[in-house]
Amino acid sequence: MTDFIFLMFKDAAFAFLVAVGFALLFETPKRVLYVAGLLGGIGHCIRFILLHFDFGLVSSTLAGSIFIGIAGIYCAHKVHTPPVVFTMPACITMIPGLYAYRTMMGWIKIYTDGLITQEPHILQETAYNFILTSSLLFSLAIGICVGALFFRKKSTKEIKLGKTTIIKF
Amino acid sequence: METDKFIQADRFAKLILDMSTLLLSSGAHCGRINRNVQRFADTWHFRIDLFISFTGVSVTVVDMNNPENKATSNRQATTHGVHYGILTEISLLSWKAYEEKMSIDEVEKLLSDIHYTPRHNKWTIRLGIGFACAALCILAGGDWINGSIAFVAATTGLIVRQQVMACKFNAMIAILLSAFVTTMISGMDMLYHIGQSPEKTIATSVLFLIPGVPLINSVIDLFEGYIPTALARGMFGGFVLLCIAVGMSLSIALIGVNNF
Repeated sequence: MTDFIFLMFKDAAFAFLVAVGFALLFETPKRVLYVAGLLGGIGHCIRFILLHFDFGLVSSTLAGSIFIGIAGIYCAHKVHTPPVVFTMPACITMIPGLYAYRTMMGWIKIYTDGLITQEPHILQETAYNFILTSSLLFSLAIGICVGALFFRKKSTKEIKLGKTTIIKF
Repeated sequence: METDKFIQADRFAKLILDMSTLLLSSGAHCGRINRNVQRFADTWHFRIDLFISFTGVSVTVVDMNNPENKATSNRQATTHGVHYGILTEISLLSWKAYEEKMSIDEVEKLLSDIHYTPRHNKWTIRLGIGFACAALCILAGGDWINGSIAFVAATTGLIVRQQVMACKFNAMIAILLSAFVTTMISGMDMLYHIGQSPEKTIATSVLFLIPGVPLINSVIDLFEGYIPTALARGMFGGFVLLCIAVGMSLSIALIGVNNF
């Protein structure tokens, strides 16, 4: 158990580094760099925990990114910045780079002479990787535009978390 | 009141186009562009119809107080990078203008300053990306030696990309060359079998090139109903991925690692 907690913190710490690095690449303003790092760390940590309990790759990623989206709306009010500025680098920590890469490598490899006899499943594997990549990408995008999807408001500034809002008909 | 002052439609259309092409080329999704622009329209009582395509923006503005005062024009957006600093500044400006009822002169002046929003230090970005790729490598299951090789490979790759872009080469060529150089360095890991899992180094050290922003923006546009831009962004992202794959397979063929 102690081992698992250590691994959890290690995962969050490395995801923090990844999110800050990508936030620098995307020119996120300096004052919100740490928000991107924290969201990325916690989101990736949630995904790690769910993966450990066998929830499946896509649903764990969806949970992590929805957490990032909702926490991002809260942070946006605190630091007065549009949420996409830090939720995007935070979600990039979970980008399916490995699978996207395998998909592309598969497409390039297919034409090699005699490969069909050596690796008869290559087309199937490539299609599998492609579908996995796009599902993961969709779950990340759902996390980022969670404000527009769940709260029926166009702008994040109109969403108030933790306060009851009266809906007028 | 200052906002009741007559604003020439041509001038307003020019401001809107300036803003939306700037947003489009710094990686905003269409919903955001529309919202930001709409706030200015509400401020000065204009009706706006915005058509956003991947390569340009077209707008028609009509003055609500004086329907004769109208204009249509369009402008190209040539580059497609990512600059969230500009995105933040324009969003803040739009809210400020909406809440404080700023005049168009002030907004024009502030917008021309936003064009020169400072970037981060070059070396900060390079080192940050190096650490990010090393961390991704370790997260994927490599050990510390794999991570440090990924650090060197990613940092060098980003330097190559920035330098090639600075020489005004095609963006895709820059990505291809960068992927090639990165894989040449991380392939050394595979060639000499340093560390625990060398194939993780190759797979993760090119991740800084992955077009995450266009791909995620594409899905967001799909959700919000901007189908043409969604398709164009997806295509753009897919092509960047293809360039990365071509660069990598070139260098893998050169090194002679054939079990990948």
